[in-house]
Order: sequence, then C-alpha cells, then structure tokens
Amino acid sequence: MPERFAKCALIAALVLAAFGCAGAKVAVPTGFPVPQVTKVPLPVGLYLDEALLSYVHRESLEQRGDWEIELGSAQEPMFDNLLSGLFIGHRTVKQLGASHDDIAGVLAPSIEELQFSIPEQTRSEYYEVWIRYRFELHANDGEKLGQWDLTAYGKAHQQNHAGASAALQSAALVACRDAMAFFTQQFGRVPVVQTWLDIELGGSA
Amino acid sequence: MPFLFACAGLAGCVTATVQEVRETATAMGAGDSIVVLGRRSQPTTAETELDFISCVADNMGRGQNALNVVNEQQFLDATFPWFEPRIAPLNHTELPTIIKQAPLAERLDEMGLKYLVWIEGSTQRIDSGGSLSCVVGPGGGGCFGFLSWEKDSSYEASVWDVETGQAAGKISSEATGMSYMPAVIVPIPMIARVRSSACSSLANQLKSFVVN
Repeated sequence: MPERFAKCALIAALVLAAFGCAGAKVAVPTGFPVPQVTKVPLPVGLYLDEALLSYVHRESLEQRGDWEIELGSAQEPMFDNLLSGLFIGHRTVKQLGASHDDIAGVLAPSIEELQFSIPEQTRSEYYEVWIRYRFELHANDGEKLGQWDLTAYGKAHQQNHAGASAALQSAALVACRDAMAFFTQQFGRVPVVQTWLDIELGGSA
Repeated sequence: MPFLFACAGLAGCVTATVQEVRETATAMGAGDSIVVLGRRSQPTTAETELDFISCVADNMGRGQNALNVVNEQQFLDATFPWFEPRIAPLNHTELPTIIKQAPLAERLDEMGLKYLVWIEGSTQRIDSGGSLSCVVGPGGGGCFGFLSWEKDSSYEASVWDVETGQAAGKISSEATGMSYMPAVIVPIPMIARVRSSACSSLANQLKSFVVN
C-alpha cells in the first residue's frame, strides 16, 4: 500500500511539474548595479518602512497554483545602490517628519501594487511583472513636499529559464532594475523634485 | 554570401547562409574589446534566446583571431542604466548623446570598448509531422513510428562603433534544418543543430568583420 501511494504521489508530482500547475515561490536577488550618472551635489536621506522591507506578494491563480514573490529583502540594497549613484551622499533615516541638518531631503519609497502574469494567462511566452512604486519627497525639516508614482516592468522569456520559478524571479529582478533605471531617468523631470533642486542648489540645477 | 550545408553522422542536415553589409571600415587593436547584447526593448514580443547571445560571445572569444569579448551581464551592470530595456538606444544616432555622459564614458574607456553588437532574432519550429507511440508492459516496452520537424533560425547583428557613434554594418545569419526521429523499439533522434549552426556562422562572420 505505501508503495502504491508513493507511485501515485510521484505521478501526481510529475504531472504537476509537467503542466506547471504548482505555482512558484521566489525571492528577488539582492545584487543591484550602481547608476553611472552625474551625481546631484546634495546628500539625501532614505526612509524604508517595515511594510516595504517585508513586502511579499501572494496570489492564487485558478488551476495554476499558489504564487509568491518576495521583494522586501531586495529593497534596501536596491535603493542603497540607486542613491549611491544619484547623490554625492546618502544615509538611512529612522523616521519621517523629523528634522535633519546633514541632509537636503528625505526620499521615502513604497510599493503600492504588484501584478504578474504567466504565459498560460496571456498566451505569450513571457512571465511578466509590474511594480507600482510611490515616492514621497520630504524636506530636511520633515515637511512633505510631494509624491509621485512610477510603474516598472519586467519580463522573462520562458525558454531562457529552467522552470516557472527561475523565469518569474528573473522577471521580478528585471522589474526592479527597470524601476531603478526609470527613477534615474525621470527623477530630475518630476515637478516637485525640480522645485526642490532649484531651492537646494540655489537655481543651479 | 557564405553558404554552408552541414550533415554529419546521426545528425539532421542544416543549411546556413550569412550575409554582410558594411558601412564603415573596422579594426580592433590590442586592448580593444567588443560586447554582444540581446535586444530586449519593451514591448517587443520577440526576444533573442539568452544562450544564443552567450554562444555568439563565446565563439567570438575563442579560436583563431579570438577577440576580447565583454560578458553581457557585466557590461549591463557596469554601464547601468544606459543599456537597460527602457533606456537602451534603438538607433546608432542616439549613441553619441549617451556616451557623452561622463561616468559612462569612463566605464567604456576602462573596458576599452570599441564595438557594440546588437543581436535580434530567434529560432522557431516551422513544420512538424509524423507520429510515434510507445508502449510499456510487464515484459518490456518499445516505441514505433516516425517524427520529423523543421526549424528555422533567423538572426541579425548590428555593429556600432562606440568611438565614432556610427553604424559599422550588419550581418544576418539564417539556418534551416530538418530533424528526424525514427523508432523501431528504440527511438533514434537525428537532430539538426540549427541554432548552433546559426551561432557559429554569425560569430565567425562577426569576427572577420570587426578585424577587417
């Protein structure tokens, strides 16, 4: 009887693996590059709240199993490297709204929404991930200056990866890199940032 | 237009063609390097296989006239974010503006990067036929039947000169091949290495193209 049960379990596992119904549980790798751009000559603060640092997206897809994307552990190295490339200096701050003399402002990112799709849903060959970030900019006296959203996108072709987990992880990593790239490209064009830079740099930004 | 027809042993046959269009003179000196990148612009629905990009890069980096080829991922990290899908230049005319960025120019200089190769294309199964069935019983098992399928590889490499910001030329590689799998008790696959053939043809042509 146990032998028969084991055979059934093995067949069920093989069927699940073959048809990709088992879902996947992935964590985004924590290695990120530093943007190679001209740095803004200001030191800034970075506030990462607990919700961001522990962010996990869980979703059950009908007949496609349970899926989990863990993004939280990647956020600190990601924003650390992003600000290292963009500003002459940065440090983390423990709370928003406080006054800081040694920095020009505080950036506070959060994840508002994450969506993903698998090839079976879209009839394509791609795993795709969308992440909507919200950025708040605070002055060094703690006053909130404004906020803006940024939607990042990542995709991974299923043929380039060994299985659903690897492909989904790759798509999520590409989305995080896209968020960094988009932020780098867009940062100076956001009206609230332009105003802040004009004030802090005395109109030389 | 080099034309190759490869057929060996228990392998299927592959027909490969390579075409080259040159726009400027090319040369690589000691210390110069080249990078091979896959085009991953959004929202394109076709993406070149990662292993094809690494195959071309590996082939260019070994053998006779081996070139100094920068690893694609290392290049993307070192030049971040300028060659990420959202920002990467779609046309060589955008290159001069990008490489003027001081930190990027320093990284490219450190690498000694002379040429940038963008690869687009993919390998598709275009036809298949036949049937094959297998039976397993208490006394053993076996398969009987015949399968065949045809694959087509079509890739294009655009070579950009990083120093001048000009397009140096284009090389296209096409390969088609039919694979067979007859089975009388035991299936005997005769696989046509279509993608592999397109890779080696393209890499060899790229090598001779850049060293002129």
